[in-house]
Amino acid sequence: MKKNKQVITSTGVTVREKPLGLRIWNNRGYYLMFLPVLIFVLIMNYWPMLGIRYAFYDYKPVGQPSWVGLAHFTKMFSTAAFWTAFKNTLELSIMKLIITTFTAVIVSIFLNEMGNLFAKKTLQTVIYLPHFMSWAVVASIFSLLLSPSSTGMINGWLKDLGFIAQEQSGIYFLADSKWWRPIFYVINIWKETGWGTIIFLATLSGINPELYEAADIDGATRLQKIRYVTFPALSNTIITVLILNLAKVMNMFESVFVLYNNAVYDVSDVISTYIYRQTFAIALPNYGYSTAVGLFKSLVGGALVVICNWLSKKTRGRGIV
Amino acid sequence: MKKKLVSLLLTATMVASLAACGGGDSTADTPAADNSSSETTATEAPAENADASTGDAAAAETPAETGSYQLDTLTVVVNGTLTASVDNGQADFEKQWEEAVSAKLGHPIDLVIQQLDHSGYTDAVGRLFAGGDYPDAMIMSAEMFKQYAPTGLLWDMADAYDNADFQSRMLLPSINENLKDSEGRLYGFASAYGNGCVTYVKKAWLDAVGLDINNIKTYDDYYDMLLKFHNEDPDGNGVNGDTYGVVAAGFMGNEAPYINYLPEFWQDAYPAITQDANGTWIDGFQTDATKAALLRLQQAYKDGAIDPESLTASTKIAREKWFSNDQTGSAGVFTYWAGTWYQTLTDNLVKNEVNEELVQLPPIAEVGKYLNREAPVWVIIDDGDGDNAREQAIFDALIETMMDGDVVQTLWTYGAEDVHWSTKAESFTTNPGTDKEKVYEYEDGVFHLRPSLNDPNSIWKKNYIDPALVVCELTNGYADATELAVAGNKFFTENCVDAPQAPSSETYTNETGTIYDAQLAVITEVVVNGGDVDAAMDNYVATVGSIIDQCLSEMNAAQ
Repeated sequence: MKKNKQVITSTGVTVREKPLGLRIWNNRGYYLMFLPVLIFVLIMNYWPMLGIRYAFYDYKPVGQPSWVGLAHFTKMFSTAAFWTAFKNTLELSIMKLIITTFTAVIVSIFLNEMGNLFAKKTLQTVIYLPHFMSWAVVASIFSLLLSPSSTGMINGWLKDLGFIAQEQSGIYFLADSKWWRPIFYVINIWKETGWGTIIFLATLSGINPELYEAADIDGATRLQKIRYVTFPALSNTIITVLILNLAKVMNMFESVFVLYNNAVYDVSDVISTYIYRQTFAIALPNYGYSTAVGLFKSLVGGALVVICNWLSKKTRGRGIV
Repeated sequence: MKKKLVSLLLTATMVASLAACGGGDSTADTPAADNSSSETTATEAPAENADASTGDAAAAETPAETGSYQLDTLTVVVNGTLTASVDNGQADFEKQWEEAVSAKLGHPIDLVIQQLDHSGYTDAVGRLFAGGDYPDAMIMSAEMFKQYAPTGLLWDMADAYDNADFQSRMLLPSINENLKDSEGRLYGFASAYGNGCVTYVKKAWLDAVGLDINNIKTYDDYYDMLLKFHNEDPDGNGVNGDTYGVVAAGFMGNEAPYINYLPEFWQDAYPAITQDANGTWIDGFQTDATKAALLRLQQAYKDGAIDPESLTASTKIAREKWFSNDQTGSAGVFTYWAGTWYQTLTDNLVKNEVNEELVQLPPIAEVGKYLNREAPVWVIIDDGDGDNAREQAIFDALIETMMDGDVVQTLWTYGAEDVHWSTKAESFTTNPGTDKEKVYEYEDGVFHLRPSLNDPNSIWKKNYIDPALVVCELTNGYADATELAVAGNKFFTENCVDAPQAPSSETYTNETGTIYDAQLAVITEVVVNGGDVDAAMDNYVATVGSIIDQCLSEMNAAQ
């Protein structure tokens, strides 16, 4: 006769584990409540995954899909534009993550140090606002400001200040490979820093004031308090934010899509924009190829999640998934 | 008990909502399976009855395949060339179309128009098809048409076209005859010829720099004009160098005929896969003519003769920059669509209080002629059931009536009666209270176009079909083309040649995006970065050379 497994209850009592069917029946109310969620997740998240099979098919808007095996992957790995996009995705995402996190930390500390509550709240509101603007609007604003023509404000200033000769053409910031990435990072800082400070400010508000009082008694200067109290208190949050965002680095699309152009594909084209062009910018796209690239992207993203989970366990003692 | 009830209710609600979400046509993978866009009713009428609704001769020639079919709903997908948009009287157009076509067909028919974003039409159509939403008929550019024609998605309308009633009124039969493939199949119908772009120059700027349009005859003259527009303060604001010679939407267009926005720079080059004098397919991008054109563009970019934002500008941005109220940063030259656009550009200059006089530049010696692009076409989606009855019914309801020479053709040409045009006595004023004020007075019975619904200060020009370009005559004599539109069309037809045919092959279809990206990389490297043209071209060959060779091999084999 099969012997039931022993389990320890939340009250510390050791009991024999009941059969699964009985446990489900006993908790049927909870299972019933969970059922809609399960159905929703299966239909919305897992059922579409059946489309992954098209990575191995030629699949166009017309006609029936035809099996091509690994042909799309062979093509993908032998296409220079794909590798450029892959490299750009990693470089842009990771740099953006580091820069925006670092800036958010600095701004949070600065805000935390502000004594005037009204000024602090006003500044917080001002720096949060860009987060609520759509990327399309942000791109339009910066395209106007950075225009190389005579109407571009930044180029106008550079000419007025003598950095560019009056008779010379303005710098085409958004169409110059040297300039595109720095501009992209600056725009990201402008848009997302404010929002990024929320989590750090929350951490800062949770620091025990006695630590600062003790530092004051020890004669610490303001900078020393930041160095020896604030930073150590923030470090765990910084690592957590970095790790959580690292898992999302392959998902970059909108911010690049609205700011890039054919002149800067070499430094700006990311996997998602590459997929977009291969899918929607041609008259008769092959969704099979796009799916193959998308699948590769997802696999890399999945691997990053696993790595981040491992890193999280190492640094925080618990995983993210 | 209460908890159980709540959970049961929640489950039921969720399942019901999901069932509703998934309640669409699950067999919409192919148009053959997706007839949901048309609420149609097949009837088994005797052959003699079929003639009435499907065209006499078509029914007579293919009696086995073409039964009687009553089309109750016609779904069409269009781009921005249907100017009766949602905010510009589309509802009235639809209503009047339904009344007129229902009367012709002898049964009610509902017209459903899906108007997609014009600049993103190709990708929007791709998304539509990807979702399994196939309309009954749609507009396709020549390039889209070339890609889709061999796929089996489009219905061969050759018989329907050959036997259509409008053949007796055909003015330009060659337009559609040329669309037939080598085996006589016709997958698209062009209601007008393609039209093309001509170069417009601001007269006030010419006067300001002391030039006469009649003296611009060669590339050197043209380039000299551009430099003067950049360097000699043509807008009179006291600042040199804040204006440009020419602005364009890209140095090379993304659809055929590619070079039509900057023909003076491209001249004899055609930077795409094209046929040489012997009919052999070649890559025009790799020719010396293209290299020379790229060097001309490079010099113009460097000299400020061309607005640097041309690299990234869409047609809308280029247009608006050109006729903007603040002419700082604008350009003196703009190559854009001929005919009606001559009037439209002028109207926009008037609206923005900019000196509105434009002159059309006759093709310079190196250009020879402007290009008449391959015409956009109407295609009918084949439902793949092997029976032509439904497709024939779509042809009859849409294309046959579109070319009826009377009420329906007038709708497609000028829009809705008493909305976009009228024959009733009336008077109206545009730009009232300004020095551009103009009073229009019409007597009863006189055909005239009315003020645009979304811009009452400009007069409506046309709906979908340009009356000056149409392939079939309008028999009711309605005409109200402005002097500029007439002059524009005349100028273009006197100075144009047909653009080269767009290519088509399986590899080309698959690799269009990759090839276009590689071409843009060369153009950017040479024109914007000032790079070496031979090195850039070598890089192009290294990147897509083998793909191009494969395309050429397929195209030449198919010859």
